[in-house]
Amino acid sequence: MNYKPTKALLLAVGLIAVFFSKTTAQTPNDAIMMPKGELCVAAIYGHDSWDEYWEGTLKRNNGNIGTFTRQSVMGMFSLGLTNKINLLGGLPWMKTDPSAGQMKGVKGFQDWGVWLKARAIDIPVGKGSIGFYPVVGVTGPSSNYAVDYLPFALGFGTYELMGRGIAIYEHDKGFYVRGSYGYHLRSNTTIERDYYYTTHSVYSNEVDMPNATSFAATLGALVIKNSLKVELTYDGMNTLGGFDIRRNDMPFPSNNMEFTRIGGSLQYYFPFLKGWSVLATGGYMLSGRNMGQTTSFSGGITYQFGLWTPK
Amino acid sequence: MKKVIYSAIIALVALSVFQSCEKDLPTNFKYSSYEYASLDEDGGTWKPVVLTSAAQIAIPAPEDPGSASYQAELAALKTASANLTSQQAEAVDYWSNNGLIRWNEIARELSAKYNMPPAPNGDDTYTAPDPANPSNYPNFPFAHPPYASRMYAYWSAAQFDALIAAWHYKYEYNRPAPYKADNSIVTHLPQTDLPSYPSDGAVVAGVSKAILTAMFPLEKDFIAEKAAEHLNSMKWAGMNVESEIVAGDSLGRGVAAVFMARSKGDGMKAAQTAKPISDSLRTAAHDRWGWQWDNLEIPPRPVGITPFFGQVKLWCIPDVTTVRPVPPPAIGSAEFEAAAKELKDYSENLTDEQRKIANFWSDGPGTYTPPGHWNRFAAEAIVDSKLNPLRTARVFAYMNMAIMDAGISCWDAKYYYHYPRPTQAIPGFKAILGVPNFPSYTSGHSTFSAAGATVLSHFFPNRQAQFEAWAQEAADSRVYGGIHYRFDSEVGNTQGKACGNFAVEIAKVDGGE
Repeated sequence: MNYKPTKALLLAVGLIAVFFSKTTAQTPNDAIMMPKGELCVAAIYGHDSWDEYWEGTLKRNNGNIGTFTRQSVMGMFSLGLTNKINLLGGLPWMKTDPSAGQMKGVKGFQDWGVWLKARAIDIPVGKGSIGFYPVVGVTGPSSNYAVDYLPFALGFGTYELMGRGIAIYEHDKGFYVRGSYGYHLRSNTTIERDYYYTTHSVYSNEVDMPNATSFAATLGALVIKNSLKVELTYDGMNTLGGFDIRRNDMPFPSNNMEFTRIGGSLQYYFPFLKGWSVLATGGYMLSGRNMGQTTSFSGGITYQFGLWTPK
Repeated sequence: MKKVIYSAIIALVALSVFQSCEKDLPTNFKYSSYEYASLDEDGGTWKPVVLTSAAQIAIPAPEDPGSASYQAELAALKTASANLTSQQAEAVDYWSNNGLIRWNEIARELSAKYNMPPAPNGDDTYTAPDPANPSNYPNFPFAHPPYASRMYAYWSAAQFDALIAAWHYKYEYNRPAPYKADNSIVTHLPQTDLPSYPSDGAVVAGVSKAILTAMFPLEKDFIAEKAAEHLNSMKWAGMNVESEIVAGDSLGRGVAAVFMARSKGDGMKAAQTAKPISDSLRTAAHDRWGWQWDNLEIPPRPVGITPFFGQVKLWCIPDVTTVRPVPPPAIGSAEFEAAAKELKDYSENLTDEQRKIANFWSDGPGTYTPPGHWNRFAAEAIVDSKLNPLRTARVFAYMNMAIMDAGISCWDAKYYYHYPRPTQAIPGFKAILGVPNFPSYTSGHSTFSAAGATVLSHFFPNRQAQFEAWAQEAADSRVYGGIHYRFDSEVGNTQGKACGNFAVEIAKVDGGE
């Protein structure tokens, strides 16, 4: 059976890279497809932290937070509905903590996500191939977590519809270049008070959430007989609207949040353990606005098997 | 082809789900002008708060109705209200025939805009706002709850006195409204039998501009623009001729000056004490009670918020010690331990409903404060009851004087007892709301809210149950939030009611009942 187990890993890593920002850039971001009838499940632990954050464009620390930490444990799956269409889903459980101050962090299930990814184009070109993979997905809050409690809040409590296009050039020798661009459409979210001030008063418990775009550029290579994959990624997010955190104010869901980030990942498929792999990622924010300057890393395991195509 | 159509339909439905919520969210109170429930012809005989008499501030007598100048004013008004641009029509609709509601809303917006604690300087020190240099960071003022309560109180009480004076002059001169002198004048607000000299809308604008500019000096231009639009709206609405507006504006400014003179000597200047005085209060409390409150922010703030606000001049209460509560339980006593246990239980097991209550009433930095929240409730009740501007000002005045008095009483207790917050006295305890920069006992939310509820219940007795329930929930919210002990809120609630009753007793005999 000549399926490529490493492809499952690539998929899983793509999912991971995504869930690990507190923001909602939660989209599958790679060009790997599960063959029809195969299921990959993954469990990933993630850790984000920052000491400094951008209050608007002003980088500062806050002694009443100290070091902010977000940990998560995520379960994900991807399923080959057909050879050209995959269904993906995931749900993280998260815990936030300050290292100082008089306030407490929170914990709970964050947002569920469901995506459909398609192989639209996959054609040989010279010594490699180019491909195009569109993705659509929806995320939404899975519990009634407090939204207006940033930076500790688990998420924004918004429903998001995401569309993304992934383009890739893969060389037969095992290296590849991949780029993607996504658009995130967000519903209003609801907070627990009915007055707030952004740049003016709002007499409502609804918050108009700005939409966002995201991008990623990746260089990758398969080495050691395709059992180890190495990737380097530059990615980021841009919010289309929103307002800056006012001087010494707490952040708010509809802030104008932006970042760019550099990161890497490794995943290893065990030749002696059929279907299993381990993976690790790391990332560091290079620039940002209304965000913590986050250092992140994650580690996890995946297992792929045939659901209705026995191996 | 079918597949394409289906996916397009799905996409459009999905899009509409996500985008249909994008209707504009309200930025102010949506209400319409209304016919006043009463005119209060004897309003000029009511007892003012500070003015020695309704005639203390003089205005010129109006011109004779037969005069050429008055006829010219009528003609000018007829032109002004005949064909409104959409912008003018919107302004008339916005300012309505009860401009106090809009100015109260503007006061709330400004108090939210300026309600932000200063950030630490790079070297772990803090700078205080400086009224002499308001545009230096941190901008003046820091509109914390004491400051906000005082701003709302001066604005409201000045409005009340100015409108008593206006009603006095209205019925002294008995000048009929312009649209009665010339019924070809088109009007865009409800017509009344109220005499129109001076213009009460202009009085409201004059008072508001003077008081709010004094309270928020950096907003001078914004406030002037709003006042100009308010004054113009009366002409666009066909309500008042120029001389009525000029007289009203001058009356408003004159009364405001009397109140600003009171404000300069009311003790607020000394309320944000220097560190040595603040430290001496802490030491005195420690000597007297064996405990003290400390600011646990990082870096620590050297002085709490207005340690001497408890010494500011009261409106309705003769002496602050009259309403000072009994001492709180000793740290480590049975009552303290019971309150600590309750807080820890809530912290471990907070329900969604309790969390929501904590957040709904938090009214913290970046908001209009608890006094502002009660002004919002007052505005809604006033419009619902169709009160005329004089009676509207009466409600705001007594409520805000009671709320400020409650704040003075609360701050007197806070710095006299200097009681540590739960996050200080209970080892390892954390809150879900920001811990304010002042001592714990008693709860400001509880005292402000109980005072507000007591006064509003007097003016709107059919809403008493609602107001009292809100005041109770506001008090509970601080316990759920982990920043007050149960006894802070219970005693504060009683304290606030007592303060509110002083205001009610004065209202009962001011002639307006």
